[in-house]
Amino acid sequence: MTAVSLNAARLRRGKRLRRWFANTGWYVLLISFALVTVVPFLWTALMSVRPNSANIFRQGRPPEIIPYPGLIGWGYGQNEARRDGSYTALPWDSSLPEGTRYGWWRDFTPIFSEWFKSVGLDQFAFPATTINYYRVWTDVNLPRYFVNSFIVAVSVVFLQLLTCSLAAYPLSKMRFRGRDAVFYLILSTLIFPEQLTLIPTFIISVNILGLANTLQGLIIPFGTNAFGIFLLRQTYQSIPDELIEAARIDGASEIGIWWRILLPLIRPGLATLAIFSFIGSWNSFLWPLLMIRQEQLYTLPVGLAFLEGAFTGNLRTVAAGIMVATVPIIIVFLMFQRQFVRGLSGAVKG
Amino acid sequence: MVSTPYSETFKALEAGRRRRERNRLLVAYGFLAPSFIFFLIFLIIPLISVVYLSFTNYNIVTTPQWVGLENYVRLFQDPLFWRGLRNSFIYLVVTPILIVLSIWLAIVVNRKLRGIFVFRTIYYIPAVTSVVAVGMVFELVFAEPNGLINGILLALGVIKSPINFLTHPDSTLVSIMLVTIWRGIGFYMVIFLAALQAVPEELYEAAAIDGANRFQQHLYITVPSIRPAIIFVAVISSISALKVFEEIFVMTDGSGGVLDSALTLMFYLYRQGFVNLNAGYAAAIAVVFTIVTLGFSIANLRFLERGTRDSR
Repeated sequence: MTAVSLNAARLRRGKRLRRWFANTGWYVLLISFALVTVVPFLWTALMSVRPNSANIFRQGRPPEIIPYPGLIGWGYGQNEARRDGSYTALPWDSSLPEGTRYGWWRDFTPIFSEWFKSVGLDQFAFPATTINYYRVWTDVNLPRYFVNSFIVAVSVVFLQLLTCSLAAYPLSKMRFRGRDAVFYLILSTLIFPEQLTLIPTFIISVNILGLANTLQGLIIPFGTNAFGIFLLRQTYQSIPDELIEAARIDGASEIGIWWRILLPLIRPGLATLAIFSFIGSWNSFLWPLLMIRQEQLYTLPVGLAFLEGAFTGNLRTVAAGIMVATVPIIIVFLMFQRQFVRGLSGAVKG
Repeated sequence: MVSTPYSETFKALEAGRRRRERNRLLVAYGFLAPSFIFFLIFLIIPLISVVYLSFTNYNIVTTPQWVGLENYVRLFQDPLFWRGLRNSFIYLVVTPILIVLSIWLAIVVNRKLRGIFVFRTIYYIPAVTSVVAVGMVFELVFAEPNGLINGILLALGVIKSPINFLTHPDSTLVSIMLVTIWRGIGFYMVIFLAALQAVPEELYEAAAIDGANRFQQHLYITVPSIRPAIIFVAVISSISALKVFEEIFVMTDGSGGVLDSALTLMFYLYRQGFVNLNAGYAAAIAVVFTIVTLGFSIANLRFLERGTRDSR
């Protein structure tokens, strides 16, 4: 970049232009990587709104990649729609019982197919449908799995916040015999991969505690978390000792100090731990797979994994199930992303 | 107080001090008790019993029978165990790839560009979605012949027949490793980004004056400055690579791949323990697995411990 003498206005414009060009390369890079990240999800989303044909790629024709509102609706109202001709029955729908219909179905295809023809995109466009979501919501007990996952994740979060914040307090703010030994003992449990204890933990939970086929069985074994204790201990250490001393002189009990003074102050640490344990529990797969045999008690990942068995060969319904399972957690992440990233980098620096 | 002899005051004080100390000890361990109970039942007792179980013949229902070293002897003659061990170590290849890619991406998103925050957020999305969901998404991406990749390549005429991502013994493990890399980059990027932001800007300016190009700057300034983060990522990603299970389970539909080609140690443990109900044998796998990963785990622990000392 050579310096050229120009008048001020041209220089400014040139600079802005040059900066834009200099950054374009970066944006191309950023956008292409964003595509690598997002396209698999978009692909799944596209599959999930496909009507009767699973194949987006067709022999000798352009791929159908632009969805437009087609048959949209919920409930058994499709029977009615089928009767008045606004809906073409799909082969596997014939099993639906007559007279159990409710809800509505609306065929938007005529309007939008016209519109796409007029702009010449009709080759690439296809009418989207909500039928796969409807099927995954009714034929499989997905709402139930959702609720189960939520109950388990929220309970694990509360239990871990309670036990970890209790345990981390004396480890960072009290002087007592054996403190360092206890701390290093807790830390050293991180050496052992959880897989080592998988079998005995399973045996204890099932044979001794009778937790098989219960949601408690997915909660209680995760009652505390060595990493969480470690994390909260770091957070406690940022609180000045004088504050606690002052409260002790005022005659506050230790539990009172913990509850009224410290917990409000360690909220950022608690938020970090809550997010991580929520995600961990929400996404955990192996343990619920082992513990739960009853279909009504499946959590979302387990239900999802068995979806393929339930809809053999029907990839569109499976895709709808994946969307139902992932979109909420992505929304939660987008809502709390600041705490997320701060928590993650804090945990690393810590 | 004045009338009491000095020694008695001292005794009273001493007794008071002891009482307070006892109280403090009681209070401290009271706070620790809830966690301790969970650790005892779900960690300490299982730790001891897994070692015991590994010397027994046990099918979860009947009582365990002591068989001595038999499980271990069988294990070392078991070709599937060696296959699992080999595959778990092959899986370690994801670690260097993840480190290089995520450092590179962290450097890119560390630039002050408009809207960079949006990109950082997008890159992190795979890390919050479950392995099961991601695995199933990639089953759709890898599908034959109309999955995302095969469909595009076939339509463009790049390939004549679909690539057997998940249906050929030679490619299954590699395909699953690709998914692990895809899912991990954003997560490790955030870690490296935090480290990068602590590197002082002046270092780069000085290097630029000395005539270092951008690549040299990163090689000689960035990499040494974020070394702790690199070690940290290397440790945690190797541990999670060695213990990979869910990806394998989901993407091979619980089979371990064609001809057990994607069988890892953890998957073999699951199969022996919970499918074939050889809990004693599976316990032996768990013990061997722990010994194999111990080096990485201790490195991890030392890292956390050093962090503790620094913050004091």
